Amino acid sequence: MSVINVKNVSKSFGKTRAVINVSFEVETGKIFGLLGPNGAGKTTTLRMINYIISPDTGEIRVHNETVSSKTQKWIGYLPEERGLYKKMKVGEQLLYLAQLKGLSTGEAKKRIRYWLERFGAIDWHSKQVGELSKGMSQKIQFIATIVHEPDIYIFDEPFSGLDPINSELLKEIIIELREKGKAVLFSTHRMEQVEQMCDDICLFNNGRAVLTGNLREIKKNAGKNTVLLEFVGDGSFIELLDGVRINNRSTNFAEIRILDDQKPQMILEKAMEHTEIQKFELVEPSLTEIFITTVGEDNVNPKELV
Amino acid sequence: MMNWRQILLVLKREYLTRVKSTVFIISTLLIPLGFVAYIALIIGIQFWESEPQQDIGIHDQTEMLVERLINQNDDRYTDMTHVPVDSLRSLVIIGQLDGYILLTEDHITGGQPPEYIYTGSSSVTLQTSIRTDLREAIREERLVREQVSDEIRNIFETQVSLQTRKLTETGDEEEDHAAFYAALGFILGLVIFFSLFMYGTIIMRGVIEEKSNRIIEVIASSIRPIELLTGKILGITSVAITQFAVWTLLIVLVAMAAGPIAMMLVGDVTADPAAMEAAGGIDPAMFEIPAVPVSLVFGFFVFFVLGYFLYSALFASIGSAVDSESDTQQLMMPVFVVLFIGFFLNMEVVQNPDSGISLFGSLFPFFAPMNMISRMAISSVPLWQIGLSIFLMLATIAGTMLLSARIYRVGILQYGGKAGFKDLLKWFRQS
Repeated sequence: MSVINVKNVSKSFGKTRAVINVSFEVETGKIFGLLGPNGAGKTTTLRMINYIISPDTGEIRVHNETVSSKTQKWIGYLPEERGLYKKMKVGEQLLYLAQLKGLSTGEAKKRIRYWLERFGAIDWHSKQVGELSKGMSQKIQFIATIVHEPDIYIFDEPFSGLDPINSELLKEIIIELREKGKAVLFSTHRMEQVEQMCDDICLFNNGRAVLTGNLREIKKNAGKNTVLLEFVGDGSFIELLDGVRINNRSTNFAEIRILDDQKPQMILEKAMEHTEIQKFELVEPSLTEIFITTVGEDNVNPKELV
Repeated sequence: MMNWRQILLVLKREYLTRVKSTVFIISTLLIPLGFVAYIALIIGIQFWESEPQQDIGIHDQTEMLVERLINQNDDRYTDMTHVPVDSLRSLVIIGQLDGYILLTEDHITGGQPPEYIYTGSSSVTLQTSIRTDLREAIREERLVREQVSDEIRNIFETQVSLQTRKLTETGDEEEDHAAFYAALGFILGLVIFFSLFMYGTIIMRGVIEEKSNRIIEVIASSIRPIELLTGKILGITSVAITQFAVWTLLIVLVAMAAGPIAMMLVGDVTADPAAMEAAGGIDPAMFEIPAVPVSLVFGFFVFFVLGYFLYSALFASIGSAVDSESDTQQLMMPVFVVLFIGFFLNMEVVQNPDSGISLFGSLFPFFAPMNMISRMAISSVPLWQIGLSIFLMLATIAGTMLLSARIYRVGILQYGGKAGFKDLLKWFRQS
């Protein structure tokens, strides 16, 4: 069942076209990844879903209602630029944010206690946020996002700036939310996170959604056209191969994408000639690879993709 | 259209976090304390100046004046006619006496002024007081010598008491009150000027803080910017009203207490008029503030609140356009200039409250909060002018709120770089 419905949405800021005719659907019980390089239009799209800014054209529906102050309450949003009031106490602050999301005082207090306890942070209840460490504040920010227990969760670059412990914690939360049948939408420019967690993806580039769909299907459709090669010996032959793209290369490892209709055997033969092969495997391409194929090599700044 | 539950939540947060802050508590209490200290200082100065223990030796060669002086103030004057003048000098030098006066026949007949010879300090009030005492003593003696009839002497005496009454009650007092209301008008305008500025800066800082703390986007995902802005403005207006209310209350209490306290301090001295004059002319009435009409207090709150609505929206939109307070100067300039023009107009209003310029200032929405309240304090402003002024302000507030909300909405999500007027225009068009 789709809970977020983005349909032909465009948004410009002056002459900059931030989002161009984007459509996708987020389903309940799934994790949806919005990915693409910085400046591709992900944050603008998320802000429009959160009714922070309005689209110029197109429509966004949440639970089948056009976005409004009402639909805001059904969403828990962790923005990329996130923070807290420094001079407020943790408890007061969470209460304020939960009340803004429509919770009653009593209900909000109960849930704040639950989440603070769950995160081992109940002792911070009466501390000022300014006294907390960065990692502690991040936990409070998670709680602020989820405390009103909505059906939809939107995280904008949630893992950027997180320490490893909080990174794991957030992953757990996201997986748990999916298991509870909630819908999770998060944006990232880190492809490996998407591969690990997402059910569905939407690839953004220069304001356009260039590829949308189920992650497994997308990978399957791409076909097993990538060779993983581990070897001992002189690997210089790899640079001489035609019709391939080398994505990952170290002294005894290479990930080789076969571009035209060449047979992978050709590479195997060449490799056997020059090196001692330890591993030869034919796999589906990585998401980075798919992204590059989709938008074209010339349109990608490799530094923006990790 | 606006959700008042959300606005109230914002209002409550803005209000409570500020009212609970130490800065607020200290400033709210310190300013009236400063007022009390100021009053106490004035009373203190008067009181110390009055120094009842002044000991003045009178060497009266005429033997006619000293008795009269002692009758007027036996604490101050001592008959030292039997002591040679040289010895008197020594007594004054060693501090046994504060001073001495040598009185001769010339002083009665020739109109030559007597000399008061003293050491240490002598206040103007003391000198005035001695002069009055001598004048009366000599005049009385002259009248006696001219064998003036009792009727005429009575006339002179009544004249003396008439003078005293005039000082405290009639003409002069009315003059005093006009000056008081002019000063009050100026001060009220000044207070509004500073308050618009001070509380405007507070709201601007609050907006910048939400941006720099990076909390704003979380808030924006829960509430509409116009509601957030409205809540903030109302919250800080409430803070200001709280502060003014506390101040007004404390000042009224102090003013009410000042008279009796002054009376207590100078206590028995004021019991009889002669002694009172000796005490340096302290009159408890001078510490009583003339009645301030309730309508003026009400007007002050109305014009402050409207003025604050007008300016705070502008301050908030400036705050939304920058990342830190140091970047605000360029954008603040026009607001500054307008506020200052209003403030300078106030000088004119105080002098000529009913001139054309004053009328303009009290109707023009950006100056009205300062100029109308000054006019109201000084002259009786026709009701229709007050009404028109309020109406014009309300209309302008609707405009500035609309303008500011559109800038604010875009500005709060912009990071990096200083925004200029061009950017504000762009944002206004964008939203």
